[in-house]
Amino acid sequence: MKKISVDHLARVEGNGGISATIDGKVVSDVKFSIYEGPRLIEKLTIGLTPEEDVSMSPRICAICSLSHKNAVLRSMENALNIKIHPKSYLCRELMHMGEMVESHSLHTYYLSLPDYLGYPNAIAMASDFELEVKIALEMKHFANHIMKVLSGRYIHGENPIIGGFGTFPSRDELIFIKNRAIQFMPFVKKTVDLFCTLDYPDVPEKETIYACCEPGNSNYGFWGDEILLSTGEKFFRDDYQKLTNEFVVSHSYCKRSRYKGKPYSVGALARVNNLGERFKGETGKMYKKYFNKRWHVNPLFHNAAQALEISYCFERIPELVDEILKYEEDPKAVKYTAKSGKGTGLVEAPRGLLIHHHEITDGRVSLVDIITPTAQNAEDIERYCQIAAQKLLDSGKEDKIKERMELVVRAFDPCISCSAHMAEVTHTPSGSWKNKLEEIRKNSSPVYIGAGQQDRSDDACGIDIAQKLRGLGFKDVWLGSEIIRDDKLEGYTEKNTLVFFDAVDFNEKAGKITVLPLEYILTHSSISHKFVPFAASIKNLSLQKNAYVVGIQPDSVARGNKISPSVQKAVREILNHLRN
Amino acid sequence: MNNGKLKIGIYELTGCAGDALLILDCEKELLDIFKAVDIQSFLMASSDNRDGKLDIALVEGSVSTEREIEELKDIRERAEIVIAIGLCATVGGIQARFTDPNEWKKKYKEVYGDIEMTHTKPVQSKPIDAYIKVDYYLPGCPIGKEQFLDLFTRAVKGTLPERYPRPVCVTCKYNENDCLLNKGIPCLGPLTADGCGSICPNHNVPCFGCWGPVEGANLTSEYYLLKEKGFDIESIKKRMANYSGTKLIDFLKQFKKESK
Repeated sequence: MKKISVDHLARVEGNGGISATIDGKVVSDVKFSIYEGPRLIEKLTIGLTPEEDVSMSPRICAICSLSHKNAVLRSMENALNIKIHPKSYLCRELMHMGEMVESHSLHTYYLSLPDYLGYPNAIAMASDFELEVKIALEMKHFANHIMKVLSGRYIHGENPIIGGFGTFPSRDELIFIKNRAIQFMPFVKKTVDLFCTLDYPDVPEKETIYACCEPGNSNYGFWGDEILLSTGEKFFRDDYQKLTNEFVVSHSYCKRSRYKGKPYSVGALARVNNLGERFKGETGKMYKKYFNKRWHVNPLFHNAAQALEISYCFERIPELVDEILKYEEDPKAVKYTAKSGKGTGLVEAPRGLLIHHHEITDGRVSLVDIITPTAQNAEDIERYCQIAAQKLLDSGKEDKIKERMELVVRAFDPCISCSAHMAEVTHTPSGSWKNKLEEIRKNSSPVYIGAGQQDRSDDACGIDIAQKLRGLGFKDVWLGSEIIRDDKLEGYTEKNTLVFFDAVDFNEKAGKITVLPLEYILTHSSISHKFVPFAASIKNLSLQKNAYVVGIQPDSVARGNKISPSVQKAVREILNHLRN
Repeated sequence: MNNGKLKIGIYELTGCAGDALLILDCEKELLDIFKAVDIQSFLMASSDNRDGKLDIALVEGSVSTEREIEELKDIRERAEIVIAIGLCATVGGIQARFTDPNEWKKKYKEVYGDIEMTHTKPVQSKPIDAYIKVDYYLPGCPIGKEQFLDLFTRAVKGTLPERYPRPVCVTCKYNENDCLLNKGIPCLGPLTADGCGSICPNHNVPCFGCWGPVEGANLTSEYYLLKEKGFDIESIKKRMANYSGTKLIDFLKQFKKESK
């Protein structure tokens, strides 16, 4: 077994790593790791006033601090039943534009572009692309300026408060922002052209589900009261858990999210896929010019989607300023009398759907639930890295795996500081099949299936295990031939996990045990043929997703009735483990 | 390559990465900063990082895992001067709000359950001076650009600036703000270290204390001032806890002594 790992991912926000484990011909395990320590953010503000919470929660993340600010404010104002003045609403949107442009311009030009142009960092790139680097810096600077004017300072500004703002920007400040935005348009168009025409590799490409806020009124936008999925489904804000279904995995402190058992993606690419048809003006034209089917399946297009959103923001900023200027009076922050309540705030942070949920009891915060975009993307980041690593391994480009995985992780623009739910990820040591089996048994009721052929020496090991399990009195044990012939799997639900036992050739030492998701096996051509009939016989799709293969490396699968000693030993180990 | 430039490393432990981000935010000065010194390590900005001897290490974030303790000790060994930047490195950050180890353990369990970590164990968040000697402290959540550039330009010339032993109120007065305390709004300005430019009172918002407690303040006078204005001292202390991290204990001791 071999491990490829990037221990310190550079040019991402925060401290994280990615690793892949290779079992012979199969990429068996991909882990996106977070080295940030636990911060217990959701517990810090329990017992404090809503105002103190609004000050502290955005400290989760510096780069998305205003998204957190907007999300916590929307959540609190829903909980305390506050309707803010339209001017406050518009100013918050303008403030959000600042953060979006700042984050996207930093990510596209400084964190991602060096990958595509072959430089270690933007400073090195500056010698050859001085103009681009300088104008991108100007753009970022302008976005910081918007954030500073609206929120008080660039990071962790305290001017946005429950019920509105402490102070509003002056007319001059607003006019400056509008004019400057218009001046940037030629460079913005160049930015879109540049990032939409980069040569994005076609590995990995695979469908996923995209989730984002529904801005309403057929508009593009960065918040809403509903969540919209690429499947067409919608959820009201308080029902967010129907999407996120947070769960704990035993190999990680990072809570994960899956929708109906499947990983999903959030972020600029999700928004452009779900809402891109709503772009108007220049952005709409450029969307029509560049958007194509590959954007549906290739996470590397995140960068292109971010460029389109930069353009959307620059077209929206002048409109917003005009709308704000219609209100001459500065409204006072709305006072509230409610002492208790529950609320949810949905916002599109630059890197995707951000959810804050708060409960207030007797004027004090009593419950906080925060779901960050990176926590939601973690599963898809691993999935796409696995697909990329496997494809590269299959085509003999093992040396490219490390670099490509880094490219994929970076495309998602992960913000590791968002560690509300994230902390250290522990790597299961090699030979960790016991832990995996334990996890399966702990979280669901397993159905054991012995696969293989009786008359092919070691290939009989799966059947041997199944028969012995029956002998030990285990229920829900089947032979592969039975499930293909007799539909024995009808009646099982997503609460069950299918566990296949079989001899699997991983190019390892005979008797080595490996547990892999059936999905992984099916994507690998050289060993998938054994399992295709099973996969086809599993009619319940959620069961198919919830299936694992416990593979034993065979010594020989020649015609014969004898299982080799090393495989016999592995069979005993598995039985002993399951018996306890 | 020794080009006579100072070797500098910028490191991030547990936190929001806001201080490293603020350094990147010095757009106009950024290219000059990178030219003036030899940046050996800055993960947020570059993938080309080295782990050699350093003249100055800037460390952001609190120490929250055993891995970070090791990393920090290694940085200390390699660096002539270690500077703590930001609230998390200087006082432990908001995540060090639970100063009682038992309370921390309880909350930790509430969030993460009973899962046993095998790779690196979490530890209660502490400022970096809980583990290593620190040569200079630059407070702030996040650090202020002016204070950072001040520190940086001096450090490049081989000295460190004097610290800022004054509360937010000093700058607030320069900015000619109406005192929020006079309006009956509980503002933590008198107890909080200066450096933000009194940004919150400038916006008519009370100070939340995010620079941490001010050193060398006349706490006796502050205590009576707040009491005289009719503020509940207990709730003031509770508010101070949000951004004081582990330094709250010293602060409260002193506050108690002074208020007798």
